[in-house]
Amino acid sequence: MLYGIPFPGAFVTDEDGVVIAKSFHDTYKKRDSPEILIDAALGRIELSAEAPTAVGGDEEVRVTAAIHGGSGTIRQGIVRHLVVRFELRDGLHIYGEPVPEGMVATRVTLRGPSGLVVQDPILPPTEPLRLGSTGAELRVWSGSVDIAVPFYPTGELASEVRPLDADAVTLEVEIRYQACDDETCLLPRTEKLTFELPLDVIDVPRIPLHMGHGQREGDYDGKPGLRRLMLRKIRSHPLGFLRFIGKHLRLELAARARAARSRN
Amino acid sequence: MTIERDELGFDAPAPLGHPGRLGLPEGREVGPGVGQSLPDFALPDQHGRLLRFHEDRASARAVVVFFRSAVW
Repeated sequence: MLYGIPFPGAFVTDEDGVVIAKSFHDTYKKRDSPEILIDAALGRIELSAEAPTAVGGDEEVRVTAAIHGGSGTIRQGIVRHLVVRFELRDGLHIYGEPVPEGMVATRVTLRGPSGLVVQDPILPPTEPLRLGSTGAELRVWSGSVDIAVPFYPTGELASEVRPLDADAVTLEVEIRYQACDDETCLLPRTEKLTFELPLDVIDVPRIPLHMGHGQREGDYDGKPGLRRLMLRKIRSHPLGFLRFIGKHLRLELAARARAARSRN
Repeated sequence: MTIERDELGFDAPAPLGHPGRLGLPEGREVGPGVGQSLPDFALPDQHGRLLRFHEDRASARAVVVFFRSAVW
């Protein structure tokens, strides 16, 4: 048996109570966006009109990238999805891995600042396509194709228990693909899109350091544990502790200024 | 100050390697898998009424969430 803080997770069931999707994470600080659970129940990705969106491609292949979940904001540990939707003209297809040398497999790369964890893309199932000339079998997508890239910020980027370093972060998306029909291929394309995502402020400006979630209710006294932690930190990094105090004061002032601006 | 950070990028007040910080063991089963039926269970709702999962769902789809805190 396992005891302690439960691992966060969700079961999605159909009308008969049978599990159709399941998601468990290895730390209680990480969990799925509600929108992603709703997608799992519906069996399709429903992009909100509020989702930040960037468009690329052309008349042959339309490419739309959107940040799915949280109305475009990100917060610590909550898994959002970058959804890249390819809408291909009839007769065209794009390639999944693996491809022979000289061909281009579809690839979506998401980059962000330090503290942003990007997970492996979730790919829809491919269909087989046999090339008449060589007999090689390729894996392709056609029609409308959604590729989802899960990502989440850690406390380094968007802490729940200290003021934020910045109001927003920049995410860069690179999309590489080549569309072909049964006879010819279009030139490979690389789309580069950028998102500016606000970091979600929770209630940090109103609470002092180390009084975050789970410590504000009940009779738990966190002071002895905090005192031991601080002494250990000071002993091991005396100069770093002074820098930490200075940085915290600066962040606290910035958070108060931000709160004052939002009130005006 | 050097922040103690685990392999997932989370800052840690407890020292890395502390048993209290152990994650979900590799390959550990966490309940029924996809395609299996959830067991029947009963839990009180926000009004204190006891709800049975299979009986009171009115044949609707459902999401059963396990979480530690409600900041989403």
